[in-house]
Amino acid sequence: MDFSDFLRGCALAASLALGFAAPARADAPVIACAADLKFALEEIAAAFREDTGCEVNLVLGSSGNLYRQIVQGAPFRMFLSADERFVSDLADAGKTVDRGDLYAVGRIAILVPHGSPLKADGRLSDLAAALADGRLRKFAIANPEHAPYGKRAEEALRHAGLWEKIKGKLVLGENVSQAAQFAVSGGTQGGMIAYSLALAPPVARLGRYALIPDSWHAPLRQRMVLLKGADETTRAFYRYMQQPAARAVMKRYGFVLPAER
Amino acid sequence: MTDPVTGLRATIRQVVPIPLDADLSCGPGEVLALVGPSGSGKSTLLRCIAGLHTPMEGRIECDGRTWFDAGSGANLSTARRRIGMVFQHYALFPHLSALENVLEGMDDPDGAGSRERGRELLRKVHLDGLEMRKPHQLSGGQQQRVAVARALAREPHALLLDEPFSAVDRSTREKLYGELAELRRELKMPVILVTHDLEEAVMLADRVSILSRGKTLQTGPPLQVMERPATVEVARLVGLRNVFEGRVLSHHRDRGTTVVEWNGRRLDVRLQEGFPAGARVAWSLPASGVLLMPRDRNAGGILDNIVEGTVGKMVTLGNRVRVPVRVHGATEALLTTTVPRHLAESYALAEGKTLSLRLRGGQIHLMPPDDGPHGPAGDSRSIA
Amino acid sequence: MDWTALSLSLQLASATMLVLLPIGVWAGRKLAWSRFRGKALVEALLALPLVLPPTVLGFYLLVAMGGATPLGRWYESLFGHQLTFSFQGLLVASLIFNLPFAVQPMQRAFEAIAPEVREAALCCGMSRLRLLRRVELPLAWPGVLSAMVLVFAHTLGEFGVVLMVGGGIPGKTRTIAIAIYDRVQAFDTAGAGIMSATLLLISMLAIGLSYLVTAPGGFRRHD
Repeated sequence: MDFSDFLRGCALAASLALGFAAPARADAPVIACAADLKFALEEIAAAFREDTGCEVNLVLGSSGNLYRQIVQGAPFRMFLSADERFVSDLADAGKTVDRGDLYAVGRIAILVPHGSPLKADGRLSDLAAALADGRLRKFAIANPEHAPYGKRAEEALRHAGLWEKIKGKLVLGENVSQAAQFAVSGGTQGGMIAYSLALAPPVARLGRYALIPDSWHAPLRQRMVLLKGADETTRAFYRYMQQPAARAVMKRYGFVLPAER
Repeated sequence: MTDPVTGLRATIRQVVPIPLDADLSCGPGEVLALVGPSGSGKSTLLRCIAGLHTPMEGRIECDGRTWFDAGSGANLSTARRRIGMVFQHYALFPHLSALENVLEGMDDPDGAGSRERGRELLRKVHLDGLEMRKPHQLSGGQQQRVAVARALAREPHALLLDEPFSAVDRSTREKLYGELAELRRELKMPVILVTHDLEEAVMLADRVSILSRGKTLQTGPPLQVMERPATVEVARLVGLRNVFEGRVLSHHRDRGTTVVEWNGRRLDVRLQEGFPAGARVAWSLPASGVLLMPRDRNAGGILDNIVEGTVGKMVTLGNRVRVPVRVHGATEALLTTTVPRHLAESYALAEGKTLSLRLRGGQIHLMPPDDGPHGPAGDSRSIA
Repeated sequence: MDWTALSLSLQLASATMLVLLPIGVWAGRKLAWSRFRGKALVEALLALPLVLPPTVLGFYLLVAMGGATPLGRWYESLFGHQLTFSFQGLLVASLIFNLPFAVQPMQRAFEAIAPEVREAALCCGMSRLRLLRRVELPLAWPGVLSAMVLVFAHTLGEFGVVLMVGGGIPGKTRTIAIAIYDRVQAFDTAGAGIMSATLLLISMLAIGLSYLVTAPGGFRRHD
């Protein structure tokens, strides 16, 4: 092999690599969704595609993170937040079309994987005992700094008087979906995650869950809003979210729905 | 002397990075050797002429064209100067064949007729049949020949050779000397050869320039520089071992002699009136001017000076023997001569033996005394 | 297997490689042959991305070219979309982050050419272009190839910078490395596994090719 072979090889490699462009679904609008909506929104988006033939692209993350990205100009068209505070802030900053709609109220649940020494006790007495007798070494929640579900988990733990004892053993997920991942993957003995995730079949079969009383934390009022520049497809999706088909899916995933319009 | 319009003339001065203070000139078809120990700046001077290094001050001209002039800011690029350069380690393009290397020296390597010219050049340096070989398939001597052919392909205005023979073995070197001597008959351009080997310079060059620490000390035909060094430093650099201090006593124009006082005796030397009577001088004598005489032989001609001494520790170098002799006299002085081995044997030379030496006054050369860095010389001991 | 993400990654890697090829050759050559004041500083700056945590680079890039910055606004006025959260933004980040991978091997390759050979070329009257084409590149090409392969492989694996600057937007900035991360979070180990294995294979091929070309005796050497 010498220099001219090298040149030929370069040309070949370049054409291969550049030609590999699979058609990107660049036209489908990008929708930012709180991580707790993962399974529910995927179902709804699939149904939306079936009913209308239109595609949407979902990006999941912690509401706080998504909020920050929108402020920095990320090209999202719609935002489904787990905490309505973020929507109000965006509206105040002029990034939204209007002040949005409340689409669901969420719940948190404790999730313990199969084989964990913990019990799925919604009143957290087993958790307290496990803390005392050393059964608990690591516990997963979403990062309270920017994930609403993490903040509520913290509130619930404080309410149960366990926060000071447990905070040294916490594993923080970047969003509640990652927290759920940590909870069942074997690195922890369990975690406190979104109820909607605990219900989802891929997660549910990996462990057992129990609801945490909603009086133990501030409510998870989940608000959605159209962002400036939203196109027709996005608006159609926004409307779709408020229709019976979508609401039925949300209900199945444990969300409490606001009264019918 | 060099025709002011043709040939190469260079004046180069610099303080950093290497101190240089040189004046060179080389006529068309002439071979000038720059000789000096390593670190004397001779390679740097060559690179200045080639345009690979820009000196701080000076002027370089070739055939009337100004290549470099610090004053006016002129500085022709290496390519525009049109020089042919042969490097110590050949510097062939390792991925190209011998012929392709030679072709790159030409203005139009891809042109019609170039290949034929290239082959002709390789034939001239005795490399026909080896055109397609790559450098790593050629011996050192063959690679150097390719380098020469490549330099000549350029049809250069000046041919520069930077220690071209130091990387090849002795026998190849001898062969290459012969080939260069043969080749130079056809060369019409100034040829500058850099070498640390004085013998090589003597063999190949028309003129020799002795360099030390960047300064051209003396330039002239080789034998003249070797036998008539201008200063003690040059004497040392050309390898003269017999250098002593003395004092001029008188000049005798009628006899063609000068009388020098040395070591408590009077020496008759070739008339050199440049030094006034009474002046301190240094004098040198090549080993060939020191001849053995058995003790009881008669003295020779007018310019023969007989001294007696004791043989010191002899050193056999090949088939010659270096014989140091401690001369009897007012102070200790060590004369050195070399004799063929058979002569040493027939004279039964041995350490401690006393003998007489004949110093040929005709070869004794006077120089200004050495008041250099080794301090004012106040004795007649050898300062070589 | 997320083909969009793989395609994005390959496009990013190819684009980075193609842009850095001439830049690397120019810079590598200059650093190999020139001596100038501050050269050591330039070399240190070029090497910085090697030791810099990717998130630090991502942070500074956001600060420098985010939507609210002068640079970001200027870009948006020219092209109609933001630099961050776009493929072009990833390309900028990738170019900076891959500089040492491009320049250093090329610099070594050019340095390995004996200075005398270059001087001989100048004495032969070669123009700088011919010198590059006929002498330097043919002798240095293993280093150039090695650099390009490294850049390609390294870009495929970029994560931190890409995530911070790009946001992982599907179809635009969600490269395969991010897609793997997403799949893991989504409890889709099968998907993550396939994509990881693909990346591993590509990386091994890249490194293998690079070593094959630069190892002594690997390909015909011209010393």
